[in-house]
Amino acid sequence: MSNHKKTPIIIKHLFLAISSILFVFPFIWMVLSSFKTSSEVLQGGFWPKEFHWGNYQEVLGVIPFHTYIFNSFYTSLIITIYVLISSALFAYMLAFYKFKGKEFTFGVVMATYMIPGAVSYVPVYVMLAKMGMLNTHFGYIISLSVSVFGIFYFRQAFLKVGHEIVEAAKIDGASDWKILWKIVFPMTRSSFVTLGLVTFVENYNNYIWPALVLKDNDKKLITNGVADFFINSSLGRDWSHIMVASTIATVPLLLVFLVLQKWFLSGVSDSGIKG
Amino acid sequence: MQIKFSKAAFFLLPVGIPLTLFWIIPNLFSLGISFTDWDFMTNGFHFVGLDNYFNLFTQSSFKQALLNTLYFGFGTVIPTIVLGLGFALFFRKNFKGSAIYKLMIFSPWVTPTVAVSIVWSLLYEPKLGVINTVLGLVGIPGLDWLKSSETAMLAVIIVTVWKLVGWTMIFYIGALEKVPESLYEAASIDGANAWQKFRNVTLPMVSPTTFFLIVVNTIVSLQAYDQIKILTQGGPSGSTRTLLYLFFQQAFEQFDMGSATAIAFIILIITILLSFINKKIGDKWVNY
Repeated sequence: MSNHKKTPIIIKHLFLAISSILFVFPFIWMVLSSFKTSSEVLQGGFWPKEFHWGNYQEVLGVIPFHTYIFNSFYTSLIITIYVLISSALFAYMLAFYKFKGKEFTFGVVMATYMIPGAVSYVPVYVMLAKMGMLNTHFGYIISLSVSVFGIFYFRQAFLKVGHEIVEAAKIDGASDWKILWKIVFPMTRSSFVTLGLVTFVENYNNYIWPALVLKDNDKKLITNGVADFFINSSLGRDWSHIMVASTIATVPLLLVFLVLQKWFLSGVSDSGIKG
Repeated sequence: MQIKFSKAAFFLLPVGIPLTLFWIIPNLFSLGISFTDWDFMTNGFHFVGLDNYFNLFTQSSFKQALLNTLYFGFGTVIPTIVLGLGFALFFRKNFKGSAIYKLMIFSPWVTPTVAVSIVWSLLYEPKLGVINTVLGLVGIPGLDWLKSSETAMLAVIIVTVWKLVGWTMIFYIGALEKVPESLYEAASIDGANAWQKFRNVTLPMVSPTTFFLIVVNTIVSLQAYDQIKILTQGGPSGSTRTLLYLFFQQAFEQFDMGSATAIAFIILIITILLSFINKKIGDKWVNY
């Protein structure tokens, strides 16, 4: 390679390296600060003089973040599984069948996508209260068990499978249930993985709705635990402890992301939009 | 294939029931509440017609929130689209190290907004924060960031853009991979330079993705709450209070349900309006 071609490549790498470091810098700063003493955080040095692992013990001794993490993981997991199955069933009908009221059904689903979640918060809150399901994970989970995005996403993916294959299977006498899980699912597996990850991440990161319906200390999710810890500390902030809390909330997801990165980075955009 | 609804019900109801129960009925109910002065406590509803809507437009806090929402919306969507496409252009073809760069730029999207907003509030500290320290090193005077009504919205926008760029970039990479190489070759033969290729080949070919991303990012920005709650609580002096934030204050601090739900519907109307305008303009520049 000639010299005048090498320089732009070096500049490109330099630019991208600096930009990407800027993107992850808040995480680096967060983790490093979580090991400092509180006064050290405010002195603004980069590397901790000494790694204070005890910070983690101190924080976990006061606030049960491990419980919150568990709550977040398992509620998000149940929601994700339900969303995957129910959206697939619904999208299967939309993609492969004609039935009376189909246009209307799809129209309603479309319209719901546009409505801010906040519009329904008050009535759903009242409804959960009337059913005695405030402060229960069950009430929280069922109130989030629909993903309109998921229906769109699967419908796009299923349409690519094509009518012919489904109709051929139908002629061979396969039931719709079998066709969906034995033929359509294996062909659209990456869509399932991607939607699963996106749904999981979104629910794990959900803050405002659980803040309204899950008030009990042992029911809280990690996002609410961290936010409350931060907001309650507004007088005299112990930044190193706050960074411990943020690290506990953030790092598990970053690890999941690192392990499954290829699904995030390749699958997300492949939702059937042209161009 | 034709199917009777009764046969399709097994497939439709697992979505249909919760959709009706937690989306459709509550939304219609909200629309009803927006015409009353319900306060959460009283039984029975007192119908006030469109008063809630008219009253909003006389309140300065509402007008301020409306302007803030537009500022925040444009301030977030435009840089997100530009940066997302800008980074994606580097990754049209894989090269050594490209996966790591993509990974790092995308990572903020995965993390909980509340947790990372807390980290940003430390970075933004005027006296001790890293951002002002770094600005000081290159001779730029530090800003008050979250503490001043002049810069607080800018600070919130930076955090939001930081979270959204990677997600937007991934969509653009997917779109760019599908642009046929032959188009670039043809442009080269015609003597097009890099800018002309971008202007006449890349931009038109990714325009459906741009359209999609503008709509999605607009919806996301109209619904932003978490970062505002953590970074500024809508302050200083209301400078970062968006319509959605005002909704939450009206509903769950003031318990003024009528006014709150009216705000929620105005957000919906804005969403529809912006999507419609975008669609109209889009018909001119999107290549389907």
